[in-house]
Amino acid sequence: MTPQRVTPLLELRGLTRSYGSLTAVDSVDLALAPGERHALIGPNGAGKSTLFATVAGTLRASGGSVLLSGQDVTSLPEGERARRGMVRTYQHSSLFLDCSVLDNVALAVQRVHRVAHRCDRAARRFRHIDTEARRHLDSVGLLGRAQDMAAALSHGERRQLEVAMVLATEPALVMFDEPTAGMSAAETERFVALMERLPERLTVLIVEHDLDVVFRLAERVTVLHLGKVLASGPPEAIRADEAVQRAYLGSARTEDLFAEAGGER
Amino acid sequence: MNIKAVKAMRGGTHVPSGTTPVSEPLDGDSACDSGSGSERRSGGHESGTGDSAKGPGRRRAVVAVAVVALLAAAPVVLAPYPVSAMSRMLAFAVLVLSVDLLTGVTGLPALGQAAYFGAGAYTAVLIGIHITSDALVQTLAGLVMGLVAAAVTGWVAVRASGIVFLMLTLAIGESVHQVADTWQAVGASNGLAGMPPITLFGGPPLLAAGFVHWWVLAVAVAVFAAVALVVRSPYGRTLRGIRDNEARMRALGYRPALARYGVFCLAGAVAGAGGALWAQQARFFSPGDMGFEVAALALLSVVIGGPGSLWGPCLGAALVLLVRDNLSASIGGHGPLVLGAVFIAVVFLMPRGLAGLTGARLRGLIAARGARLRKENAS
Repeated sequence: MTPQRVTPLLELRGLTRSYGSLTAVDSVDLALAPGERHALIGPNGAGKSTLFATVAGTLRASGGSVLLSGQDVTSLPEGERARRGMVRTYQHSSLFLDCSVLDNVALAVQRVHRVAHRCDRAARRFRHIDTEARRHLDSVGLLGRAQDMAAALSHGERRQLEVAMVLATEPALVMFDEPTAGMSAAETERFVALMERLPERLTVLIVEHDLDVVFRLAERVTVLHLGKVLASGPPEAIRADEAVQRAYLGSARTEDLFAEAGGER
Repeated sequence: MNIKAVKAMRGGTHVPSGTTPVSEPLDGDSACDSGSGSERRSGGHESGTGDSAKGPGRRRAVVAVAVVALLAAAPVVLAPYPVSAMSRMLAFAVLVLSVDLLTGVTGLPALGQAAYFGAGAYTAVLIGIHITSDALVQTLAGLVMGLVAAAVTGWVAVRASGIVFLMLTLAIGESVHQVADTWQAVGASNGLAGMPPITLFGGPPLLAAGFVHWWVLAVAVAVFAAVALVVRSPYGRTLRGIRDNEARMRALGYRPALARYGVFCLAGAVAGAGGALWAQQARFFSPGDMGFEVAALALLSVVIGGPGSLWGPCLGAALVLLVRDNLSASIGGHGPLVLGAVFIAVVFLMPRGLAGLTGARLRGLIAARGARLRKENAS
């Protein structure tokens, strides 16, 4: 599946994160090839969100390392990782609500183009920033709302705006944290279509509850269970995997789950 | 924020911002909320950018020119005392602008700007007494001193935000005030008197209140224009981003503390220039002019005027000084009481301050009134 010779765009080596005596993420190994669409799934409490936050740099790792294009970024803060092309979205849209939709994207664009500190001219005189921001808005279908306040957007539109902002940072890796959570069926459909249109070269790591979405988007799926990687492979293999079915997809006897969980502590 | 302002800022033509203390909308979105904190504006629709902006933009330019012209005409028609009161308001408005840069635009509540105001003022007085009476030199020196003082003390403050930032700036302000109050070289608690009248470009001393007023007005307009430009620039957008959602800025790859440090130094420079102007029109400066009360009144002016707007806080500054210096005597020294009442009224009735009263809302009120009158006439 993964081309073995290529340096993985994202590589996790024994990544661990503990809260006191609880090990939420337990020495996870994972490699994402450039351009790969990878989904991370697992039952509630499997450590998905913690793993996600640790990879993004929102949380510090307790052990192991995170490599971006072969470079160790484990000790770098979130902002520095973002500057190196690794950005995340938030489970609850995190926007600049009192700025216009266009300004939200322009904030990302002007940072990438290194004009965020310029104060010798009005912002609208930086035409290329404006054009670029509008292009990203167009790509997520929000161009018509460029001048509206971000606070006026619906939940689904806010997710679209998030995607535009993330794309505007010209990332190599985008991490989506449960992007379709709380969306209506129609919104989810529109969002998945948007994800399918993302540029091919973009590497995507997505944490998602909705398995339909996962199996539609992902080329490879990793199942996390109790902080450990239970299985990793193409969607068909994951669907067929017995351990996964037992742990996650619902055919497990509840006693097994409790026995296992109890054994961990 | 009113639609008009939003349109104008986004739109095409713009006011020659260089000449307009009143013109700068400071930009629609930002002007917004911070006053009340609780209120999220979600409206603000507007469609066109280009042409639709020309109308309001031109109107604003006209208003701006008119206001500057009126201020400039004041010495011709008014007695010296009200003229010097206006100069004082202008100097104070410059200080208020610096507070607005931090509080309204960047979302950092600041109570320490009086320290940089004082640094600029003492610098101007000392230069006036010992070196030169040239107003330009004094003002530039005051500006640089404010900048340096902010650069030296600010790096501690900008690591925090919110209430911690407020307390840190308060501590800075009080410390500097203490220094001024006890340091003999700057007259300690007596302050520094005996500053000779200012001159300009080697001319004769500007003794008349009117000439001083014109100088103060010119500098205030220039500072206003500079601040307006910063607010509308990409850097201004960065600052508003920090105000709205600092964590997100970090996730986008920004360094918020660095951007905050920049605006803190800038605000220090602005406050320093304001201090120099204040000293030039008073020809005297004492620790009482840079105490906690001054910092608090500056913050109050921003809240009354509408944080984030630029002309609103300037208006607020004039109002606050009017009540404190001129009205207070005629109402038996109850100025602070009036200010307190005004503050409460503004917070409850005008969450966006005076700036929230313009444009659409005002037009709406007028339209409603017109409709009512017409109805009354008809019946």
